[in-house]
Amino acid sequence: MKKLASKVKGNSLWSDALRRLLDDNLAVVSFVTIVAYVVVAGFVSLGWMATSWQDQIGASQLPPSLSNGFEYIMGLDIFGRSVVLKTVQGAYTALYVGLVSSMISVPIGVIMGASAGYFGGWIDDLITWIYTTLSNIPEILLLVAFATAFGKGIETMAVALGMTTWVGLARLIRAEFIKHKNREYVAAAHALGGGHVRRIFRHILPNVLHIIIIGFSLRFVVAIKSEVVLTFLGLGMEIGEGSSWGLMISDASGELVQGIWWGLASATMAMFPIVLAFSLFSDALRDAFDPKLRT
Amino acid sequence: MADKDLILSIKDLCVDFSTKEGVVHALKNVSIDIPRGKTVGLVGESGSGKSVTSLATMGLIPSPPGIVSSGQILFDGKDLLKNSEAEMRKIRGNHISMIFQEPMTSLNPVFTVGFQIAEVLQLHQGMSPKEAREKTLDLLNQVGIPTPHQKIDAYPHELSGGQKQRIMIAMAIGCEPDLLICDEPTTALDVTIQKQVLDLMLDLQSQYNMSMLFITHDLGVIADIADEVVVMYRGDIVEKNQTEEIFVRPQHPYTKGLLACRPPLGKHPKRLVTVSDFMDEKGAEKTPPKVEFVDPVRPISETENPVLLDVKGLSKHFPIRGGIFGTVKDYAKAVDEVSFQVRKGRTFGLVGESGCGKTTLGRAILRLIEPTAGEVFWKGKDIVKASADEMRKLRRDMQIIFQDPYASLNPRMTIGAAITEPMDIHNIGANKKERLEKAAELLIKCGLPGANVLNRYPHEFSGGQRQRICIARALAVDPEFIICDESVSALDVSIQAQILNLLSDLQDELGLTYIFISHDLAVVKYISDEVLVMNQGKIVEMADAKTIYENPKEEYTKRLLSAIPKGVPKTLIAKGITSVDLQT
Repeated sequence: MKKLASKVKGNSLWSDALRRLLDDNLAVVSFVTIVAYVVVAGFVSLGWMATSWQDQIGASQLPPSLSNGFEYIMGLDIFGRSVVLKTVQGAYTALYVGLVSSMISVPIGVIMGASAGYFGGWIDDLITWIYTTLSNIPEILLLVAFATAFGKGIETMAVALGMTTWVGLARLIRAEFIKHKNREYVAAAHALGGGHVRRIFRHILPNVLHIIIIGFSLRFVVAIKSEVVLTFLGLGMEIGEGSSWGLMISDASGELVQGIWWGLASATMAMFPIVLAFSLFSDALRDAFDPKLRT
Repeated sequence: MADKDLILSIKDLCVDFSTKEGVVHALKNVSIDIPRGKTVGLVGESGSGKSVTSLATMGLIPSPPGIVSSGQILFDGKDLLKNSEAEMRKIRGNHISMIFQEPMTSLNPVFTVGFQIAEVLQLHQGMSPKEAREKTLDLLNQVGIPTPHQKIDAYPHELSGGQKQRIMIAMAIGCEPDLLICDEPTTALDVTIQKQVLDLMLDLQSQYNMSMLFITHDLGVIADIADEVVVMYRGDIVEKNQTEEIFVRPQHPYTKGLLACRPPLGKHPKRLVTVSDFMDEKGAEKTPPKVEFVDPVRPISETENPVLLDVKGLSKHFPIRGGIFGTVKDYAKAVDEVSFQVRKGRTFGLVGESGCGKTTLGRAILRLIEPTAGEVFWKGKDIVKASADEMRKLRRDMQIIFQDPYASLNPRMTIGAAITEPMDIHNIGANKKERLEKAAELLIKCGLPGANVLNRYPHEFSGGQRQRICIARALAVDPEFIICDESVSALDVSIQAQILNLLSDLQDELGLTYIFISHDLAVVKYISDEVLVMNQGKIVEMADAKTIYENPKEEYTKRLLSAIPKGVPKTLIAKGITSVDLQT
């Protein structure tokens, strides 16, 4: 019995997933990239970094040069401000919008989808009615409405994006719950005395986790891109409120014809790694949570 | 036998699959000859390579990862392996046809069955749509579909499982193939339907003078249909011979085990023999223990076998909705006024064809679905009226083991987590460590290595092992009563015997009470003390197992009994030899 006890050791799905993530080099690199962006954004929000981005440090539209110092690497904008510092500020804006909107939309989507799929009946009818109605209103119009009601600005945009982008995820989660709730392992949990909460969260949810994870990362990327588009359309960040990659790209539309490429290049070069890292990392996460792929 | 008398001759076929863990030799020098107009039975457990053999013949080995590394497949004297894909396409469906196990998924749900049969005829025989429809009607008639003029325009979901398999057969014989490959064509069907389908195939074979390769895991099924039997084990052919010889004088220990493990109908062995009684892990022969026959009737003592479960007038009706507003039009009476009693320490068998309501009844007793009417008394207390909280406590005493061991374990939970969860719910054991220790003990009790497997996930186990895990999980709460819902139906016969033995042992050791639900009367008869026969939600007949088998009163019960495969070739039955004689 002693010998038996020493061998007994329980691994959870989570610890297994973590171990597998650490074995995956691409996942580690992606994760480090994401962390780096988060750290930069954190420093910006705490006022430790790029605080002087609004200062005029040279001639208007000075091209990139390596000789003058860090602030001049990507050149200066029309007001003589450092493009590098603007880009760093933009990272904060992008992550803020991405994080806030997905933190709102993913929980709403999961809870709505799970309750509709699991309970069925009138709850399903009600939730389906809500999201069908919501998804019938064109998204841009909703965002305009939000902006008019609560004032333009980055917070409104983040919240508005969060409130409008949960529908697709809710639909997917609902379908998965309908599929899984009739599986025998859920019936087994019921027979063993497990209540609704245990069946939903301990049994079905881990089996749809990959959808939630991919949903989160997709929504994050969508939010970052939406921020750029909406700002370009004049619905997002106001000039003077802060710096965003969307504003930089918007500005570039007039500047490109004059051969001023560094604003656009800097914003897109900053966007590319974070979007790619998110996609790769969510792929790796999905694999890590699938025991069938366990090595 | 001269080669020209053979329709198919597989010579030294080797098939390898490359996986992450290395190369798996799925077939090792397999040679099978099928004479013209004859049926060869291919028997083996899952993973023995029998399906790979049929896929190789059809040229359907998925590549990668599979590769035919050596050998020949001579069809009509011509090597199929040298054919191009275009040449193979002309042979498939035209000269060689195949019938699969699952009639439910083998038909396309969005086309009518008539269209699907006619499509094959137009494709291979160049018939006009009108000719093809005529021929389809003719075929439906031949395979015994009632009212073919209506059924030709039916969609697959409008037909029963047996009818769908008949459609598959019609499609397969439409082009009058020289060779018909049947891959477990009756495994998914009820015994009564199985018998009809087997009879039909026998008829058609002699009518069309086809050759057949009949693949199955159950020797009993092919006793009547095969002229020769080939037994496969782990990619090797271990024995081939005339059917009668295989049954009377099996040579290889694996064949002996397969023949012995089916519960015999006439007598009642104390334990079922299994393949592992005949050979060890490495395949070396062992002397099996002497089969001990006992009296199947166990006496009831009022003190030791009090009534544990008393079901009174239990009904479950499902509303059928129709119209735009989904108003209730009618009720489907899945279970209708069923009453019976189960005594402690005994096994109550529940038998019937699929759709008879036996599974619904089992789930309604445990309130996994809410019964529409009736009472279920557990030790004198009506559990239909119990509150959710009371019910949760009661679940400790009453457990269920499901049919599909693949579906009833959460794929994202380790075995350890799955078995400790019920203890967690019911506060059994002081801490996680204690629970895991108990889980390891339970696994050992159920014939698994215990602590070593706690960290593994369900997909790493075979079907039989998973069913053992499900049993261990059910035992985790120390229940008194377990419902086994078709718990051995999805398993190979050799594994079935092992699980049935395990259930009997556990009953002896722990004094468990079972309700054993199955469509297989042979299994129910072996394991049960009392048997209830159900049809269309109602009780047909209820008596002790021996009486039901020897003295059935109702026509329906007689029909079920006569459909059980005898497990002995007809020629032997004519000589008065029974399955019990073969086993002893």
